[in-house]
Amino acid sequence: MTINELPSKTWNWLHMNDTQLENIQIPEEKPLTDEQWKTDTEAWKTFQEITSGMGKDMDTLIKRSGAATHVYKAPTGEKTKEPVKLTFDYKEGACEVSALGIRAEEDSEVTVIMDYTSDKSASGQAAVQTKIVAEKNAKVRLVQIDRLGNKFTLLNDIGALCKDGADVEVLQLVLGGENTYLGCKATLLGKGSNLSAETGYLVENDGVLDMNYVAEHQGKKTTSDMRAAGVLRDQAKKLYRGTIDFKKGAKGAVGNEKEDVLLLDEEVVNRTIPLILCAEEDVEGNHGATIGKLDDELLFYLESRGLTKEEVYEMMAQARIDEISRKIPDLETRKKIFEFQGRTFEAEEQV
Amino acid sequence: MRDNSEKTYVEDVDRSIYDIRNDEKDAYRIKQGLTPAIVQEISEKKHDPAWMANFRLESLQIYNEMKVPEWGPSIEGLNIDQIATYVKPNTRMSAKWSDVPEDIKDTFEKLGIPKAERESLAGVGAQYDSELVYHNVKEEVAAQGVVYTDMESALTGEYEDIVRKHFMKLVTPRDHKFAALHGAVWSGGSFVYVPAGVSVTIPLQSYFRLNAAGAGQFEHTLIIVEEGAYLHFIEGCSAPKYNVANLHAGCVELYVGKNAKLRYSTIENWSKNMYNLNTKRAKVEEGGTIEWVSGSFGSHVSYLYPMSILNGKGARAEFTGITFAGGGQNLDTGTKVVHNAPETSSYINTKSISKDGGISTFRSSVVVTPKAKKSKSAVSCQSLMLDDRSRSDTIPAMDIRTQDADIGHEAKIGRISDDAVFYLMSRGISEEDARAMIVSGFADNVSKELPLEYAVEMNNLIRLEMKGSIG
Repeated sequence: MTINELPSKTWNWLHMNDTQLENIQIPEEKPLTDEQWKTDTEAWKTFQEITSGMGKDMDTLIKRSGAATHVYKAPTGEKTKEPVKLTFDYKEGACEVSALGIRAEEDSEVTVIMDYTSDKSASGQAAVQTKIVAEKNAKVRLVQIDRLGNKFTLLNDIGALCKDGADVEVLQLVLGGENTYLGCKATLLGKGSNLSAETGYLVENDGVLDMNYVAEHQGKKTTSDMRAAGVLRDQAKKLYRGTIDFKKGAKGAVGNEKEDVLLLDEEVVNRTIPLILCAEEDVEGNHGATIGKLDDELLFYLESRGLTKEEVYEMMAQARIDEISRKIPDLETRKKIFEFQGRTFEAEEQV
Repeated sequence: MRDNSEKTYVEDVDRSIYDIRNDEKDAYRIKQGLTPAIVQEISEKKHDPAWMANFRLESLQIYNEMKVPEWGPSIEGLNIDQIATYVKPNTRMSAKWSDVPEDIKDTFEKLGIPKAERESLAGVGAQYDSELVYHNVKEEVAAQGVVYTDMESALTGEYEDIVRKHFMKLVTPRDHKFAALHGAVWSGGSFVYVPAGVSVTIPLQSYFRLNAAGAGQFEHTLIIVEEGAYLHFIEGCSAPKYNVANLHAGCVELYVGKNAKLRYSTIENWSKNMYNLNTKRAKVEEGGTIEWVSGSFGSHVSYLYPMSILNGKGARAEFTGITFAGGGQNLDTGTKVVHNAPETSSYINTKSISKDGGISTFRSSVVVTPKAKKSKSAVSCQSLMLDDRSRSDTIPAMDIRTQDADIGHEAKIGRISDDAVFYLMSRGISEEDARAMIVSGFADNVSKELPLEYAVEMNNLIRLEMKGSIG
């Protein structure tokens, strides 16, 4: 299957235009009829029409797997304080496909936390697609944590449609797994709608992280802010695709994209392609990237304070993860993140 | 908020000088299309050595095997079966302007080439359609051992071995379909050799003029700058506009030796029926420097990405570019850098302006191989949209395969700030002057890298053309 296609292609020899996956299993070959697939008749049609970061082949995978879409609704005006927590606890050898729909009605507010977990040494494959409809002035906060085993393959796909004034915030932490594929696309249709996407990652050993983030600005005064910060170790490979796409008519839109990658070992492969596509004059788009090893002066200073080089590296890696985990509005989830990393969740962290 | 009708109207680049058309008085025009027989005929006309004749046929085979790019602007309007790949003007190459036929000389006079030669150049080559009509280098420069001649003379004369060793070795016919086309039908271009330690203090310039309608120009430029030498080479190109497609698929190969420095400036002003599918590449050895200065103003469609291969420790590349895309233009420009040795550095700074429905795309790649420890790269690209009918895309790629590298990238896209215009107007400057000043300022760091006469011309162009209608 082909996933994570760039919205505008470039040289083939870079191998960044898309990602070809050859060994993706589908649990059972029992394609659903359209009638079976819709668990929520009203929402179904809208979810179908939302395009996602991974693209059509992921839609096809979901449909062929027979996974029904589980829909979570936030009723009009309801601001849910407690997050909806979904734990995906995969067994050794798992091969699962899941589809979720989040529908946030007008003026509603909802936080959904998706926690992917398995034994640390587990192998398996999971594909999860989440589609979001954020109606007028709705706010959806989606938190996704990858704490999967070191032989696990995860395909995690998001597609969001934002109406007037809607705000979709995506927080993602990739801490485990062997091959992780992330797709995230928000169609900013309504005036003043917003996408904030923050991704933190730590990829080690032979791990692969392949990402595709797209903010499609269609409405006036829409905003997007995409940030990715992470650490690559050992022979890890990472590819970050990020696109700010200003469509004609998106007057007053502003898009920002920022990437910060820390390379800790000699054999890592770090690839980045940040696109700004612009068919509207009255917009502002910015992209910045810093890629490299730890600053020599900073390292020297911290070593002079008694830390070993390994401790400094560890501290810098943690800092990138903590910056995102601190924003997760659920103590229990944050505690799990600490535990996964073999750290103690201390009192001051809870403040 | 001002509506569109109130916005400053920026004219297209004034092309009246470049649109001078001469009647075709070709000595020879090959029939349209691309077949082995046509390629063999070009070989015979040009008295190719056997290896070159074979090379052309092999390139044609590669051309036929390769696909057109799946990315970038559409080239559907280009039909190679309707292109004459070789048009020989009715004159022989001369070292005296007085020997050049009147109409051709008159064109080059209007383009300012002989005047520039007298005033500020060490040597000039002038190509008209498929062949050089004039080539000359100042005696004192030649006396230093500098060779500046046309490719055919180099190929069939005493420099054949050097040509054979370097020709299409950096840009091979397998690079892409139009590199293969170039290998099959190339004609004209310049050969420059600067011996070790020689510094050519005043620039050399080649000017390429395509006068024939429905024709292609495929000049090959091969420059070798030996250890510790310096050269500034300027390339200019233009053509009158026709309502049939013209094709330019030139190739530039630059070899920069140890501690040598080459500055390669291009002002491209092709007409808007031109498909400019050009390939440029430099290989830089230890401590050497390549500086590209690239101004893209013309063409209907452009694919242009000068590439620097930093192959020796401490090699350095600098790329400064400006692209101005007006109505009917789709200019896909940028650069490629490969860091393949320790402590190499690259600095890329580009500006693009889109107006009147024009499309400009900045495309780049920075590849850092595991060998390139302690390398540094900084990429900055800025785009300015002057109306909402135009388009501007930025597609920069980075592939970093060592921990010990420092890579930075920034891109910005936007419009002329109303606040900046308001501020300048509050200081007593008219709105059109304020807008012209902002656009000139936007292009300033590029224009100051251009040869003086080009920088003045570009700034005048922006200033004059911003004086269009307001409101």
